[in-house]
Amino acid sequence: MSALYSYLTSERPASRRQAQLGQYYRQWRALKQNPLALIGLSIVLILLVVAASAPLISPYDPLAQNLDQRLLPPSAAHFFGTDALGRDIFSRILFGTRLTLAIVLLVVISVGPVGLIIGTVSGYFGGIIDTILMRITDVFLAFPRLVLALAFVAVLGPGIENAVIAIACTAWPPYARVARAETMVIRNADYIAAVRLQGASQTRIILKHVIPMCIPSVIVRTTLDMAGIILIAAGLGFLGLGAQPPSPEWGAMIAAGREFIFDQWWVAAFPGLAICLVALGFNLLGDGLRDVLDAH
Amino acid sequence: MPTLPAISVTDLNVSFGAAHVLRDVSFSVANGESFGLVGESGSGKSTVLRVLSGLNPVWSGDIAFGETVHAKKPAKSFFRQVQMVFQDPFASLHPRMTIDGILAEPLAIHGIDRPDERIAGALRDVGLDEGFRFRYPHQLSGGQRQRVAIARALALEPSVLLLDEPTSALDVSIQAEVLNLLQDIKQQRNLTMVIVSHNLAVVGHMCNRVAVMNGGKIVEETDIASLRETGGREIYTRELLAASRRVSLSATLGAA
Amino acid sequence: MTNDMASDAPLIEVKNLAVRFHTPTRIVEAVRGLSFTLGREKLAIVGESGSGKSMTGRAILDLVPWPGEVSAQRLAYRGRDLQAMKPQERRGLRGKHISMVMQDPKFSLNPVMTVGKQIAEAYRVHTRVSAAEARERALAMLEAVQIREPARVFDLYPHEVSGGMGQRVMIAMMLIGEPDVLIADEPTSALDVTVQAQILDILERLVTDRGMGLIFISHDLPLVAAFCDRVIVMYAGRVMETLDAKDLRHGKHPYTQGLLGCLPDLDHPRQRLAVLDRDPAWAGG
Repeated sequence: MSALYSYLTSERPASRRQAQLGQYYRQWRALKQNPLALIGLSIVLILLVVAASAPLISPYDPLAQNLDQRLLPPSAAHFFGTDALGRDIFSRILFGTRLTLAIVLLVVISVGPVGLIIGTVSGYFGGIIDTILMRITDVFLAFPRLVLALAFVAVLGPGIENAVIAIACTAWPPYARVARAETMVIRNADYIAAVRLQGASQTRIILKHVIPMCIPSVIVRTTLDMAGIILIAAGLGFLGLGAQPPSPEWGAMIAAGREFIFDQWWVAAFPGLAICLVALGFNLLGDGLRDVLDAH
Repeated sequence: MPTLPAISVTDLNVSFGAAHVLRDVSFSVANGESFGLVGESGSGKSTVLRVLSGLNPVWSGDIAFGETVHAKKPAKSFFRQVQMVFQDPFASLHPRMTIDGILAEPLAIHGIDRPDERIAGALRDVGLDEGFRFRYPHQLSGGQRQRVAIARALALEPSVLLLDEPTSALDVSIQAEVLNLLQDIKQQRNLTMVIVSHNLAVVGHMCNRVAVMNGGKIVEETDIASLRETGGREIYTRELLAASRRVSLSATLGAA
Repeated sequence: MTNDMASDAPLIEVKNLAVRFHTPTRIVEAVRGLSFTLGREKLAIVGESGSGKSMTGRAILDLVPWPGEVSAQRLAYRGRDLQAMKPQERRGLRGKHISMVMQDPKFSLNPVMTVGKQIAEAYRVHTRVSAAEARERALAMLEAVQIREPARVFDLYPHEVSGGMGQRVMIAMMLIGEPDVLIADEPTSALDVTVQAQILDILERLVTDRGMGLIFISHDLPLVAAFCDRVIVMYAGRVMETLDAKDLRHGKHPYTQGLLGCLPDLDHPRQRLAVLDRDPAWAGG
């Protein structure tokens, strides 16, 4: 342990890997100082574990209907009660983590790089390129996200894949904005002038020198955005345009519980709580990451 | 046949919009010479350096480095001939790259062989030991960072080194170390140097000849020894010298 | 209020001043065991970055940034114990009795207010006068710092004035409350050398005419030797030595000698500059 500690905190790292690991360790130590960020991190980690082990830990099949046991209140047998088709809500929420994570990951993987490239290119070159790219971005920004996503789903048809595409199409403009704003500061920095004087091509400058500086703020933005993405996915599900029955998507589950909200509150309340909790977790983590990654 | 000067600048003019920043600046620097540009803020001295380095593409006039005619957008090979060290070592190193990564970059761009060996050598040449190689800039002091910046500029083995206020962000004791280092390197490599500074004492220590700039023009070009003795021909030079001397070491404290 | 102000008490007394910063991993001692008294004189505190010279000035004004912590056996302004004062009392001292000029006027002036207005405001904070009267005072003060067209400069915004002009405005603003003590933290290091001379002349005249005490914080030994009466040399938060400015050349401490030795000198060229050998004993013990 102490050997590992001194390896990580060495003032004189002996290899690239040690330097990189040491940097990660310092950031982890900074993150540890922030209890809220740790809570957020725990929530996200629990979400990951639950998604991975859903079949092992759920007491029932999430899709198995049992019409004898419709709308049972929470009990020892059904922690969160059962829904209108007698399905165990606890098991459905556990399996729902997989859908939620899948949506979030797919959106982030597609949106981060697109926003980053458009933003840095726009900010680095400026002029006409900037004007064109930013006007396109403005067009996407001008629409409320959910409304635009609705329009996309209306064209593409309902379903979880189309929900992802719709969300991705509406989520990238803020990333491009963030990356562009950062790039406009970075491009005037002396260290960029220094690589220009080494004869680096513009592609190299953007990929190797500008983008690494923008990545932290994009990561922070992403984590903070995850809550929003989950909510939109849930919103689409709620409206019946996202995940289709019988898949245990949280938004769709709330929609299904809407009819019984006063008498059988648990049908809508528990998926709602799950959404709140996960959104909160990502938000807290994002806040903590901002403090850690932005410190130069 | 006379040898070509390492740098020759003839009628260099620079305008940014309505602002005429440089007016008919001409000078030449011989091979292996250290040439100083002094002046106060807004005199245009840094602009001259930015034009020479290739950072500023907006200029007119004739500039040549030896036989190479300076282009507005220099070719990649130009940067192997001319390199620059910036004023602020806290701003000129990429904050998310290790020293190793920073020094590897010029070698990778120009496809130079044996980068590992060269990086180790470059660090040694500027007086930093191996232990610095994988640190990040924020783990280094200002003087150490400036050494890294010098090592980076030397990585491509240029023949001309441009220095923009290389020590004004440093403490005086660190300044002495960096100036000594620059003099050693210059002798070892027969470098031609252009040093921009507001500090006459630094320029006097480093250079043989100096051009005094004011309002975008070269007011006077002279060698240091005669400047020291005569105090300069032009009024502005004399004012600048008098103000510098008022707070100089020997004027206030007497000779050592 | 002035009862306890013994007229013969020194302007500033500092005894065993310490400034500490608690970081998660360790305690950084920015200033350790600093003592001095300031009369109606020009006292210089010189040192390199990290010597604690700026923190000393800030500690007197209670402007040490978080998480810094100030302690001292005695910290007094004209015999009044600063540490025993309530925060608002101490705030009341600032500007009226003790003022501070910072290195870069760009960061010290409010960018959306004309400079004249800022000077007048500074006056009205401490004195109950009409706006017109404050304006008169501000104009007079601009004239005192040798601004040729005070009425024109009065209506300029900070970005419209040059560095030297900005620093004059700062000095005008800091002296309009007629303080007894001025703390100047590298007031000329962001300025050109010819402008620097003018600013020093202005400071010199104002400080002498008004019988003020000046604490001049700087990294520049030759400059303080030319300008100040007494010099405190600091290194790593500790005082290396205190001596008369005219004796600086004959300073006994090796650090003082080392700092002088490593300066290039236009009139006495040397092949190589001496390099300062830092003795760990200076920082420790």
